[in-house]
Amino acid sequence: MAPRDASAVTEVVRTGSLAARPVGYRQRWRHVDKSVFLWLFLIGVLLVLVINPLARLFWVSLQHVDTGALTLENYVTAYGRWRYLEALVNSLVLGLSVAVVCTLFGVPMAWAVSRTDMPGKGLVWAAILGTFIVPSYLGAVAWILLAGPNAGWLNRAYMWLTGAAAGPFNIYSMTGLVLIVAAYSFPYMFVFTRSALDMISSEMEDAASTLGAGILRTTLRVTLPLTLPAILAAIIVVFLEAIALFGAPALIALPGRFQVITTMLWQFFEFPPKVQVAAAYSMPLLAITVGLFWLQRRLTGRKGYVAMTGKGGERRPVRLGKWRWVMLGYCLFVTSLSFFLPMVVVLQAAFAKAWGRGFSLDNLTLHNVRFVLVDQPLTKAATLHTFVYGATAAAIALALALCIAYIVQRRLVPFGNALSFLAMAPFVIPGIVLAIGFYAAYTQPPLLLYGTAWILILAFATRFLPIAYANSDAAIRGINPELEDAVRILGGGRLMAIRRVVMPLLKRALAGAFILVFIPATRELSAAIFLYTTGTQVLSVLLFDKSDEGNFEILASIGLILVVITVALVMLGFRLVGRDFMLRRTSA
Amino acid sequence: MIMNIDRKILVMTVVAALLAFAAPAAAFEGEKELYEAAKKEKAFTWYTAHYDSESAAAICNGFEKKYPGITCNYIRTTAQVAYQRLAQDQKAGIAGASVISSTDQGHYGRMKQDGWLMKYRPKSLSELIDAFKSFNDPDDTFFATAAGLVLITYNTMVVSEAEAPRKWTDLLDPRWKGKLSIGHPGFSGYVGTWVVQMRKLYGWDYFKKMELNKPRIGRSINDTVTMLNAKESWVASGPSGTTLQSRDKGNPLAVVYPEDGAVLMVSPSGILKNAPAPNAARLFMEYLFSKECNEIVVKYRGDSINKHVRPLPGAKPLTEVKTIRPTYEEILKGIPEVKEQFRDTFGI
Repeated sequence: MAPRDASAVTEVVRTGSLAARPVGYRQRWRHVDKSVFLWLFLIGVLLVLVINPLARLFWVSLQHVDTGALTLENYVTAYGRWRYLEALVNSLVLGLSVAVVCTLFGVPMAWAVSRTDMPGKGLVWAAILGTFIVPSYLGAVAWILLAGPNAGWLNRAYMWLTGAAAGPFNIYSMTGLVLIVAAYSFPYMFVFTRSALDMISSEMEDAASTLGAGILRTTLRVTLPLTLPAILAAIIVVFLEAIALFGAPALIALPGRFQVITTMLWQFFEFPPKVQVAAAYSMPLLAITVGLFWLQRRLTGRKGYVAMTGKGGERRPVRLGKWRWVMLGYCLFVTSLSFFLPMVVVLQAAFAKAWGRGFSLDNLTLHNVRFVLVDQPLTKAATLHTFVYGATAAAIALALALCIAYIVQRRLVPFGNALSFLAMAPFVIPGIVLAIGFYAAYTQPPLLLYGTAWILILAFATRFLPIAYANSDAAIRGINPELEDAVRILGGGRLMAIRRVVMPLLKRALAGAFILVFIPATRELSAAIFLYTTGTQVLSVLLFDKSDEGNFEILASIGLILVVITVALVMLGFRLVGRDFMLRRTSA
Repeated sequence: MIMNIDRKILVMTVVAALLAFAAPAAAFEGEKELYEAAKKEKAFTWYTAHYDSESAAAICNGFEKKYPGITCNYIRTTAQVAYQRLAQDQKAGIAGASVISSTDQGHYGRMKQDGWLMKYRPKSLSELIDAFKSFNDPDDTFFATAAGLVLITYNTMVVSEAEAPRKWTDLLDPRWKGKLSIGHPGFSGYVGTWVVQMRKLYGWDYFKKMELNKPRIGRSINDTVTMLNAKESWVASGPSGTTLQSRDKGNPLAVVYPEDGAVLMVSPSGILKNAPAPNAARLFMEYLFSKECNEIVVKYRGDSINKHVRPLPGAKPLTEVKTIRPTYEEILKGIPEVKEQFRDTFGI
C-alpha cells in the first residue's frame, strides 16, 4: 500500500492540485486511509485473544456450580468469608508495597545507567537482565536458604559476626515476600524508565541548569517528571504482576501464615473444582485494573510529555564526581539482593551431589547439569520450544500492542480507552484462569488450537500483551505527532509515517519491549501447565515439576541453563539490533 | 543387623530374578492378542500424578521396550491439574488421554459416577499386594497401581538417630518448636490423608498441640524435603519416596517408620471410556502391575505394588511396615472437613 501512496505523492506533485482531477470511485478509494483495514483487523485479533476468553470468564462467574443456571451465588461464596477478604487485602498491600520498592530500586538505577557517568554499567545491566530471567519461585527458594530464620546463610553470618543467638532476617513474612517479589519485578521499572530517559535530550536539562538549577534539582524537577508516564506504566505492571503471582507467595506466604489472592484462588480449584467461584473471585482484579487506568489518565492526562520532537537532541551524561561510586554501590546492592546472592545458592545446588551437605570439594559434580543437558531428551526439546514460543509470542504481542497504542494515542478510533483496557486486562487474570478461558474457547472448531504450539504461543502473547502495551504506550507518548503530520502534509499515508518515522524512532524502545515480553514468556508457568501437550513441553513446566518434587539439584540446574541461554540470546539480540543498543553511553 | 537385612534382601532379589527367568514367556493370559491389537493403535497418552517426571519417563520407556511399536506419551502433573485437564477434555468432547492416574481418591468416585471410566479387569491383578486389593473398584473401573508412605523424616546433621522422633506424638515435643515441617492438606492429597488419619488416631487436639510448636507449613508434602535439606526444619512429616531419593544423592536425610504406623497412600489408575487407544491402555494397565514396571518404580524410590518386587536398601517393603490408613469413605468425607479445621487452627 505504501508504494501506491508514494506514487500518489508524485502524482500530486506533478499535477499540482488534487482538485483538478475528476472525482471518481477510484479516486475516492485512493483517498480512504487504508490503515483503517489494519485497525479493523487488530480489533478482530483482540476479540479472539482477549474478549472471547474474558467474556467466557465473566459468563462462567454467573453460572451455578452444578446446574449452570444464572446466579450470583458464586460471588456470595467468593466474598462471604472474612478469610477470603483478608487475602484480597493482603494482595493489595503486597501490590502497593512492591510498587513502592520497585520504584525505589528501579528508577535511580535507570537514571544512573541512562544519564550519568557511573562506571560498571555493563555489569549492572547484565545483572538486571539476569534477575529478570530467574523465575521468581527459583529466587524464592534461594532466598529461603539465604534468609530462613533458622538456618539462613545471612542469619548465620550475622550470628557469627555478632555472637547473637538469632539472626534478624525472617523471609517468611510480608516484608520478606515484598522484597522477593520486588527483587524480581523491578526490572520492569528499570527498563520502562530507562527507555523514557534515553529519549530525553540534554537540552531540557540544560535549560534548567541555565536557569540556575543544580544536578539534583534538574533531575527531580525536569528529567524524572518527563518520565512519569513510563514510571506510572511500570507501577501498574509491577502492581498487577505482584498480585497475580502464584509461585513465590506459595513458597513464602503459606509458611509465613498468610494468604494472598492467588493462594486463595487455589482453593477453588481443589476437588471438586469450582471454576465458577474462581472466576467470580478474579472479577475485582479486573475492577482494580480499570481503576488504575483511570488514575493513570487522571495523573498524566492534562500534561504533555512529548520529549521527542523533530529537532535533534544531544544527550550528555551527567557528571557525578565521587557520587558515581555511591551510585554504583547502590546498583550493586540491589542486584546482589536480586541476582548475585541467589545465584550463588543456585550454582551451589546445581553443581552439588547433595545440596543439603553444603560447600565442599567432594560434593561437587557435573552430573546434574549433564543429566539435564544430555541424558534427558525432554529438556532439550523443552529448551527449544521455550525459546521459539517465547520469541514468537513476543513478536505477536509487540506488533499488536504497538498498533493499539498508536490507535489510542493518535485517537484514530472513538473507543480508544476501551481498547487500552482490553490490552491491559489479561495481566490481572491469573494465568491458570486465562488458560482455562483459552482451553474453553479454543479446544473446539472453528478454532481448534489445543494440541498445537499455537495455543501456547497465543496464550503467552495474550498474557504478556499488557507489558508490551504499557511499554509501547509510554514510548509513543514520547513522540510528537508533528513528526508524522509532516509526512502526511507531504502526502505520505499513515502507514508510511509509521514505517519511516515512528518505527525508526521507536526501534530501541521496541527492542526493550520485545525482551520484556520474551523473557517472561520463557518462564511463564501457570498457563503453560494447562495448555502443553506431549509434543509441546516447555522448561517452566519441567522446572515447576521439580519444585514440586523436592528435587532442588535438578531444579537449580534447569534454572541455571535457562538463565545462561537467555542471557546469551539477549546479548546476541543486542548485537544484531546495534552494538550500542543498551550500553550506549552518550550520543543518540 | 543392618548387614543381615541387606543380605536377606540381596538373596531374595536374586531368587526373585531367577524366578523371573523361569517364568513362562507370556506375563498374562491373552498378552499376545492384546499386544497385536494395541500395536495397531500405535500410541497412547497417560495423564499421571503418581510419579515425578523422571520415574514417569522411565516407566514409559520400560513399556516401549517391552512392547516395541507402541509409543507411551505421558503428561505428568499434579492430581488437581490432571483432573482439570481431563474434565475440560470431556466437556469439549476431546478424546486425549487413554489412562488416568490421579492420587486423589475422590476423583475416581466422581469419574465413575460421570461415566468417564471403562470397565476392564486386568489379568495381572494376582501380582498386586493382597492388602491393596480392597482399594480396587468392585465394578472394575479403577485399580490400585501405586503406593507410598507418609512417615517421620529428619535431617541427620542436626538430629541424631537416638534423638529422632519414634512415633507421631513425638512431633508434639516442645524441643521441635520452630523446627517441624509439614505440608498443607489444601495442596497435597498425601498430607490430607495424613491429617485425616492423625485426627482419627488422636483427635483434632493433635493439631492444636502441634500449632504450639509453630510448624513450617509448605504446600506439597515434598516441600518438607527442601526444608530439611536447608536445615530450616529438623524433623518433618514427609514422603518416603522423595526423601529416600534425595538421600540416595547424599543429602543428610533419614526416615523413621513410626511405631504407631506409617500412613499408607494407595493411588488408583483407570482407563477412560473414550480412550483413543483402548487396547494400548489395557496393555499398559497390565504393565503397571508387572515386575518390570515395579522394578523401575523402586529404582526411583517409589513403593512396589507388585508383591514380588523388593525395595532398594534403606527402605522396607510395604508388606513389612506397620501401615495405617483411613477407609475410602473416611478420606472422601474427611479431607474437606480437615481442610477447614486445618485453616482454622493454623490460620492459612
